[in-house]
Amino acid sequence: MAALGRQKSNILDKGLGKGKPEVNIATYALLFSEIVQYCQNRVQTVPELQNRLSEMGQHVGSHLLDVLLLREKGYKRELKLLNMLLFIKSNLWKTLFGREADKLELANDDERTYYLIEKEPIVNKFISIPKDKGSLNCAAFTAGILESVLNGANFPAKVTVHWHKGTTFMIKFDESVIARDKLVEGR
Amino acid sequence: MGIFSVYIVNKAGGLIYQYDHNTQRPEVEKTFSYPLELVLKTFDDKVVVAFGERDGIKVGHTVLSINGIPAEGKVLQDRRDILDVLNDESNYPINIKFGRAKLTANEKLMLASMFHSLFAIGCQLSPEQRSSGIDLLETDTFKLHCFQTMTGIKFIVMTDPKQTAVDIFLKKLYEVYSDFALKNPFYSLDMPIRCDLFETNLQAAIEQSERQGVSNI
Repeated sequence: MAALGRQKSNILDKGLGKGKPEVNIATYALLFSEIVQYCQNRVQTVPELQNRLSEMGQHVGSHLLDVLLLREKGYKRELKLLNMLLFIKSNLWKTLFGREADKLELANDDERTYYLIEKEPIVNKFISIPKDKGSLNCAAFTAGILESVLNGANFPAKVTVHWHKGTTFMIKFDESVIARDKLVEGR
Repeated sequence: MGIFSVYIVNKAGGLIYQYDHNTQRPEVEKTFSYPLELVLKTFDDKVVVAFGERDGIKVGHTVLSINGIPAEGKVLQDRRDILDVLNDESNYPINIKFGRAKLTANEKLMLASMFHSLFAIGCQLSPEQRSSGIDLLETDTFKLHCFQTMTGIKFIVMTDPKQTAVDIFLKKLYEVYSDFALKNPFYSLDMPIRCDLFETNLQAAIEQSERQGVSNI
């Protein structure tokens, strides 16, 4: 009895911990394959399929944002746009995929648009797109995660996925975000 | 040149994937004089050697071309019947090319199903209890290895007799299949495999296996 009691208090004494659980890629790939098939059975066109995948990603992102900010940033919110994007590129990607995203770029002509580039996203690792679904990119799921993380952190944006240099996430921020960011930087 | 071709057969016996790594088929070209010492016969819309093996021309070899004119079934490209040409003394000396004709897709399907049935018969006929089927078929020019998975998929590989470590290659093939075919949401089970990543990785596995394993025993 005493030993049990000691065991119980030990577990409660321990902090919440970082808890970086790792999942076997095979398990993940099979689950993701089923997600894609589930969405595919309910839509008729390729853009709709990408939208469905994006919606599923948004559920994941909204749940993940709070936990991540808690663990990594010690309860502090990101106020500056660039810092938020860098946080996504390194921390979020590390938590989700175990490695950082490849490149983060600002569009030449439009200061509202940023590009996050990944040569070989892990979600697409085992997927070969058939010819009749030419433009489908299953990384639309990751785009959904990105979108809800940004929206939840009060940087409203739209994220779309494209086949460019591998896979590119085009992040388009609202005007209000850019204006506010200029004020914050100016201060 | 170690691994000639790969066939994947599903549990119903249908061929779902086929890849030829080495498309060279044995061919022999010789000049003959009348009378022809080989006995030819018409088989399955082709002219094949029935009797009289010599000089590398074996039973079952088809007439591929005569004097450079390719053969199409029982006639040459210029519409002359092959057997007539060969029976006519005035055409000699004549230059004939014999060889194994390239298998058409239909023939491959048929042969794969036939092997599937033979495999099942092999299990039943075996003198040992609970035999697991045909593992290796050996001839003087090639070896046919077969690996049956627990789900009934057979991976059949034809290799050079000197190629080693084929069972490791078969296991690698199984891994490639379970990775790039089974985890692909656009692939339905037991259907022909049409996945780019699967083909790329299969070819990489073949090349790696060839580099590692030709023994000189």
